[in-house]
Amino acid sequence: MAIMTSRDRVLASLDHREPDRVPLDLGGTENTSIHMKAYRRLRPRLGLAEIEPAYLDFVQQIALIDDDVAEAIGSDVRSASESELRWADIEEMTTRTDDGYLAFHDEWGIGWRMPVDSGWYFDMFEHPLSGIISAGDLDAYPWPDLFASSVLLDFGNLRKRITDIAGREQRAVALSQIGVTAGGPLELFTWLRGFEDAYIDLIADPLLADRIIGRVADIKMAYWEKLLDAVGDVVDVVIESDDLGGQDQPLISPDTYRRVVKPHHKRLYDFIHQRTRAKIFFHSCGAIRSMIPDLIEVGVDILNPLQVSAAGMDSAEVKRDFGRDLVFWGGGVDTQHVLGSGSPRDVREDVRRRLGDLMPGGGFVFATVHNIQGNVPEENLIAMWETVREYGKY
Amino acid sequence: MALEVLADCIITGDGPGAQIALRDALAAGAKPLTLLQDTLIPAMGVVGEKFGKGEYFIPEMLLAARAMKGCMAILEPLLVGIETGSAGIVIVGSVKGDLHDIGKNIVVMMLKGAGFTVHDLGVDVSPERFVAAVQEYHPQIVGLSCLITTTMPMMAEVIHALESAGVRDQVKVMVGGAPVSQEYAERIGADAFAPNAGVAAVAARDLLS
Repeated sequence: MAIMTSRDRVLASLDHREPDRVPLDLGGTENTSIHMKAYRRLRPRLGLAEIEPAYLDFVQQIALIDDDVAEAIGSDVRSASESELRWADIEEMTTRTDDGYLAFHDEWGIGWRMPVDSGWYFDMFEHPLSGIISAGDLDAYPWPDLFASSVLLDFGNLRKRITDIAGREQRAVALSQIGVTAGGPLELFTWLRGFEDAYIDLIADPLLADRIIGRVADIKMAYWEKLLDAVGDVVDVVIESDDLGGQDQPLISPDTYRRVVKPHHKRLYDFIHQRTRAKIFFHSCGAIRSMIPDLIEVGVDILNPLQVSAAGMDSAEVKRDFGRDLVFWGGGVDTQHVLGSGSPRDVREDVRRRLGDLMPGGGFVFATVHNIQGNVPEENLIAMWETVREYGKY
Repeated sequence: MALEVLADCIITGDGPGAQIALRDALAAGAKPLTLLQDTLIPAMGVVGEKFGKGEYFIPEMLLAARAMKGCMAILEPLLVGIETGSAGIVIVGSVKGDLHDIGKNIVVMMLKGAGFTVHDLGVDVSPERFVAAVQEYHPQIVGLSCLITTTMPMMAEVIHALESAGVRDQVKVMVGGAPVSQEYAERIGADAFAPNAGVAAVAARDLLS
């Protein structure tokens, strides 16, 4: 087969057709990139000059992949997000606490912190809507005005970047909402309420849960409306997220999901589908097998990260059962047990297995299961990408 | 039967119902310690089992734990001065660098629900703080929670620190968290691995028996 452009390669696979080789993603999304610490080590290993990298996502401390790295690795996808955020900016945006953390509050009022000494990324320490709250409290809450930030409104620049990626680079383009807003309605509900209160609300006060989940979905929809109005016709993939799974089972019962969360997913994803022909990439970690049919129903086209080490999520089984209906974006290597702690040989073996499981019939974009973490040896990454190059041909 | 209603209310997470049933049982002459040991703790055991089997999820567990907590608030003043035969003392924390707490918090709730005395050290707990807590609380069990692969090595660090401080043989170390496995637990010299919060209490009891 003739060599395809990156973009055609990705589009073919998203269409469940086999392209020339399996498409590869590094950095196209906030769940398929690499931790800054690993990125800084990777660049010299690839023979590339030392630079001050920018952050694709500040909370997860992941890198915006530079052009030279995308070229060296052969990434077929780029993120539409353009970030100038560097470490100096992060130091400016955060405060140092007395007990050794960098801390900040995001646009939703949620508090995040990261240990200064050997921290990997930010985690929540403050949930602004936790405790006993009323409908009045919800109305009075300072919900984020996402359009107040000029960064979020620079659609001209965004369109230019997207058409440049698609036209000049001939790569596929993925678009997500930025910052903490990239989280889903259920996630943001739990982050605002705190996990304990939120999980209890889901069954003990579903009306309250519905109100907050619905409010978050409304805010995200208003933001998608503007985004898709500006660039909906030129993006290939639109990213949504909502963690539903733990290691061995879903975080909430499928029944709870269907009653309280699914209606909001449906209306959010319908809204998106009505405004763009781009496919919806949906991120959920963990063991979500029992809810995959529901996700297909609400309009998910692409499933990420396919956590193959979670119960019921083995790559061969999930491909067999859902490969006709879903594209798998991820699942390329077991990041819990192999990529970080295995030998390069273990990595090659696991990657070959996943390629074998997921490649047939297209519907697969190779990426690690979630972002490459900061402790992953460069040798393992090189082994992984070499294996994809060698065994990823159709 | 009041006791069955009480157990049921705990299991189904009906906090108000549990408190009413508990007061009814006490009014009818049931002994606080007996209620705790024969009705409430076994009810939480059922909750843990259901979670382990995939019938209960986080919301159901939390609701049951909250119902149990409400009952404990009624019982505790009545148990003052009575030898409750605590199942044991446990200290629990998320290891250094790990700021996740919901999994650990559920383990704490389930251990309390099983009658253990639990000291929750919180998140991002250094090996030094674990050692200090062992010296302060004299626990039988040290529980290490680790939710991400990057902080797994810290569990081994804690075990080393306990060894260096000469207290390793005074405690049993139990580990848990999404990336942890039985094999990993053995490799680092832990005494037990709890695959999920639902069975943590059972694992703890097995450790001490």
